[in-house]
Amino acid sequence: MYSLDYHGDSISIQIQLSSTPAPKIRSCHHVKMQPLLRYWAAGSIRYDKAYKIQKVLAARHQTQKAQNVILLVQHPPVYTIGIRTNPYPFDEEERLRRLGADFHRTNRGGLITFHGPGQLVAYPIVNLKELNLGVRSYVCLIEKAVMRTCRHFGVDSVRTSMEPNETGVWVNNAKICAIGVHASRFITSHGLALNCNTELSWYRHIVPCGLVGKEVTSLTKLLGQNVTVQQVAPVLVRAFCDELNCTASNFTHEEQQEILKEIL
Amino acid sequence: MVVCSVVVRRLLAAAPAAPRHVFTGLRWVTSTPVKFNERKYTDKHEWVQVDGKIGTIGITHYAQDALGDVVYAQLPDPGQEFSQMDECGALESVKAASELYCPVSGKIVSKNTEVEDTPGLINKSCYEKGWLFKLELSKLHELDGLMDEAQYEKFLKTDDH
Repeated sequence: MYSLDYHGDSISIQIQLSSTPAPKIRSCHHVKMQPLLRYWAAGSIRYDKAYKIQKVLAARHQTQKAQNVILLVQHPPVYTIGIRTNPYPFDEEERLRRLGADFHRTNRGGLITFHGPGQLVAYPIVNLKELNLGVRSYVCLIEKAVMRTCRHFGVDSVRTSMEPNETGVWVNNAKICAIGVHASRFITSHGLALNCNTELSWYRHIVPCGLVGKEVTSLTKLLGQNVTVQQVAPVLVRAFCDELNCTASNFTHEEQQEILKEIL
Repeated sequence: MVVCSVVVRRLLAAAPAAPRHVFTGLRWVTSTPVKFNERKYTDKHEWVQVDGKIGTIGITHYAQDALGDVVYAQLPDPGQEFSQMDECGALESVKAASELYCPVSGKIVSKNTEVEDTPGLINKSCYEKGWLFKLELSKLHELDGLMDEAQYEKFLKTDDH
């Protein structure tokens, strides 16, 4: 008798080896397969285009084509704000646009932040009900996935904060990753922004996330060597899969084209 | 005493809303029937409590716990009209903006400005001071499709919540 145990699945097969080459399966317990997390590395795209892709992916959750997808991008320089719009009137928007950046008002949580080249922006479009997660636990999960990623590159002193306005991932007094999400009918949108080799001077023109006196940092700045978005992205996907108990699966070129056609 | 109260309740259930003198078999009891405005619940963890045609809406204890500390409430304005399950606002907690849904169709008559100033009331007192908005129901029958307290408690125990 020979018993096999697979890590990660609840599968146990008892195989009786006989004199003939083909083993006979005596019993087979219930197999629990890991759900998939589809990942789509879409390169450098404008903020509004990425948001349109998110909307199409989110809408698909209400149909037969429902899939949990994580969209990975970089953006040309852009400042974005969340649903708390009062601190950012029109003249503030104009001031930031004059710096050469785009500006967008969004429906996510969180205050003002910056996205730009060298920053890995990840948008998980997932079904919280299917994953058995509340909004708070989902945000914690994002923080954990980012911390795993940072530790992989040797940044061990990552931490989160218990203060409700300090959500994100921190290294000492500096923020390395901002988080701001939206949930509608259990489907998430928006996500996280992890500084790999971002030009951090863009942050000097704002109070990032509304937190006065706090700094911003990046993996490159902390490690003293260039760390790129391309290096970090697969590590982040793996970290998400570890936290969600999912298996990563590439969003095929055909699937990408199908979505991109819808946003033309 | 229990038998008396059972007899009284059955008689009251059949009675119009007016003080009554009821002979329980042991002694006369005068009682004014109380109309309980019980809360009804949705599967999105919102509650509605109706008084006449005006419904007060909030989120449940389960919802406020799942959200975490609420830092901002985006509430619908008086005069706005919604159909059942329309998205009508949002609550922000831990950098997450979660949509609010209108549990029944109607026209907003007021919003809780105290909650706009102190969003933490939603966590501390989700059924009392942390109410979100009131509306005039346009389709009272929609209440029949919502869960009562016992059904909601049962719903929370299932995997589907």
